[in-house]
Amino acid sequence: MPELEESVEHKSQSLPRLVVLLHWLLASSIFFLFVSSWWMLSLPLPSAEFTYRELPFQLHKNIGITLFAAVITMAAMRVRSLLREASSSQGWLQRLAVWDHILLYTLLTVCCLSGYMSSSYSGWTTTLWWLVDIPSMSAENDDLNILFSEVHLWSCWALLGLLLLHIGAAIYHGIGNDGAIDKMFRLR
Amino acid sequence: MENEIAKANVSWLAPVFVLFGLLLLASHSNELLKQTVIGPGSSADLGFAADCREDELEEEQLSLEECQLMVSNVRIILSSSPQWFRPYQLILSSMGVAATLFSLVTAFGLINRQRPPLRLAIVSIAMLLIVDVAGFVAALNTGPLLRAQYLWPLLLWICIHLCMLVAVIRFGQQDEMDS
Repeated sequence: MPELEESVEHKSQSLPRLVVLLHWLLASSIFFLFVSSWWMLSLPLPSAEFTYRELPFQLHKNIGITLFAAVITMAAMRVRSLLREASSSQGWLQRLAVWDHILLYTLLTVCCLSGYMSSSYSGWTTTLWWLVDIPSMSAENDDLNILFSEVHLWSCWALLGLLLLHIGAAIYHGIGNDGAIDKMFRLR
Repeated sequence: MENEIAKANVSWLAPVFVLFGLLLLASHSNELLKQTVIGPGSSADLGFAADCREDELEEEQLSLEECQLMVSNVRIILSSSPQWFRPYQLILSSMGVAATLFSLVTAFGLINRQRPPLRLAIVSIAMLLIVDVAGFVAALNTGPLLRAQYLWPLLLWICIHLCMLVAVIRFGQQDEMDS
């Protein structure tokens, strides 16, 4: 009987397999996007001769668009449970955890959308994974490009700060071995 | 009781291993991208002057000097790289990506398992350490400009992986003693 109780409790705590997979896909993509973007912005400015930025930028945009789809899917799957947790959470730590997740989803969305808008107004085309042309919002517009670049930059810095909080919390729960992070490490 | 403590200790290693694993995956993937993009015979190597248009400089918030130095930065990489360095780095970073993915899978198995796969974890971290050392030795045999870029981060990774390896070996010994 205790075994049954344990499995019921574990099942109620477990997350859908897709959410776990998307979580780790997002985690690995985000770290890569940060590292590669810091490096790619040190490459020579694009011109007819200098095409060093072409591949890294296309890859950055492709991963960003894919990440946006993953964030939306994950948020849609978790919105109910997050709202339920937000209304029933007791104690500042629990409330902080709920708001950390809500803010993470929001910032990820803002980062992806501002990146797309900036690229859209820059006049450069985007071909998703070198297969499908993504339409631009409008014609080239330098002012809007700079504006959305700034939004992209600052929302990404804010995201990095929030991620550090998220990682710190995961390690805090890991050291406490309270089972809070187990659900993100199991595909069932 | 002792076994429970050992299990708890192994469990907290999992998020730490995964965190470092994700950072390392990003690092090796970026190195792969870097070596793919910057190749000998490309425009910086052929001596083309930097194309620094005023509107681009304003957009990127760069000075003219910075824009010109971006081309020099690529030249530094190309001229300090011996002929063997690029193919070597391409293979090594691909191996690094594979070893990191393997270590991530084993790290997932460490959390609250009855029998955490400690031997597998030892193998995967040893593989990461071998990749680090191979990278370090390669960087050591390049010019001073590349050594300055590569050696310090590689030394940090060697220390991180050494700590991880020692921790897993110690937990493995504890686990064997308990069983």
